[in-house]
Amino acid sequence: MSGIRYTLRVQDLAKKFNSTLLFKSISFSVETGGSLCVTGPNGSGKSTLLKILAGIMNPTGGAVSLAAAADIPPCDWMNHIGYTGPLVNPYDDLTGLENIQFVLKSGNYASRLDSLLRQFNLTQHRDKLVKHYSSGMKQRLRLILAVLNDPPVLILDEPGTNLDAGGREALSSFLDLARKQKIIVLATNEPGEEKLCGGGIRLG
Amino acid sequence: MSLAKKNSAEEGSVLVRDILRNLQKDFRVEFRSRFAVNIAVSFAGIVTISISLTAGGAPFPVKVQSILLWVVLFFSAMNGLAHIFVREEDQGTSLFLRITRSADSIYISKFIFNQIFMMIIGTVVTPLFVFFVGVDVIHVLHFIMSVIAGGFSIAASTTPLAAMAAKAGGKGSLFTIISFPILLPVLWISISSTAGALNEARPESGTVIFLLAFSGFITAISILLFRFIWLEN
Repeated sequence: MSGIRYTLRVQDLAKKFNSTLLFKSISFSVETGGSLCVTGPNGSGKSTLLKILAGIMNPTGGAVSLAAAADIPPCDWMNHIGYTGPLVNPYDDLTGLENIQFVLKSGNYASRLDSLLRQFNLTQHRDKLVKHYSSGMKQRLRLILAVLNDPPVLILDEPGTNLDAGGREALSSFLDLARKQKIIVLATNEPGEEKLCGGGIRLG
Repeated sequence: MSLAKKNSAEEGSVLVRDILRNLQKDFRVEFRSRFAVNIAVSFAGIVTISISLTAGGAPFPVKVQSILLWVVLFFSAMNGLAHIFVREEDQGTSLFLRITRSADSIYISKFIFNQIFMMIIGTVVTPLFVFFVGVDVIHVLHFIMSVIAGGFSIAASTTPLAAMAAKAGGKGSLFTIISFPILLPVLWISISSTAGALNEARPESGTVIFLLAFSGFITAISILLFRFIWLEN
């Protein structure tokens, strides 16, 4: 991980689906070493906000920028952001390891891969087809895929979904370590995960 | 080497690497399910043999042979050509793909996959059809070129349409409807070009050139517009 410091800035963000206004006037900024928790009831727009931050969805109004030494254009965000959410499904007809190799950007992360597989307890299941994974194992794989390339920004939508006690512990110890070196934005309604964040915004 | 040239060379090599990885993934997934190839080959085999048995050895006119060949090729391939994008939506993997790869690399790899798929279908169906229906090919080179260029045009035209149909969630029926106006000139020219290869008269190469030029035009437009289909609003 490079020593570059990043700032994620959100200004007057609004999102409308047809005539339904989901949220408006959302502004905040988070720097490397900072974390933010997005909470709110179901349907309040947490996942939509995170998709906009990840550059997957366009906002109706306002702007999101990721600045380092120079502003990073949205088309290049993919290289700087690790995103996962309940709708990010790895390929069922590939093994866990094949899905990981599909995402892996460079061979330099091979040792990181081994440590992530151990940390999320997937080493012995890496050669199984994903269609034979349990929902908890799929969630562990999603988390590995999001953090694999060591992105400076992590955007995690409900990262604790379907995880058992061991999985939650692995997640919180990973986030605890990562939040010192990265920007972390997570959407959750789990009080345990909220505690991991430095600040928070509530939607709805 | 200047910095701009170096950056553009690096971007180019990343694009090529991403395209190859997408193709590897698509072939691996297709090989494990064999959904598209199985349906296409079964359809082609059943229809060709049915035509042959129904005709009972009676020869068809050249134009009818040409029409039947393209009907079999077209309908054999349609399901598989749409499948490459529809599968991503059906299995819920499109968001994963979107956050992992650039829109350009996704489009180009799906385009190459569909071209290879169409070539496989053409290679299996055409000799089968020629044998069972008793087609007498007079200008062999022109016949092969017509089948290749027609197949190339069909795959080039259907790839962006498959993406649109998959994003709209309409699946098969929508794909068939929106592909009709785009594929009508392609089928028309392919049939006429193939019929030319079965006649005594010297065939015109203009038909093959038209099909290749049409494919190039559609492909260029599709690469430019694909990101607007692919990204959510």
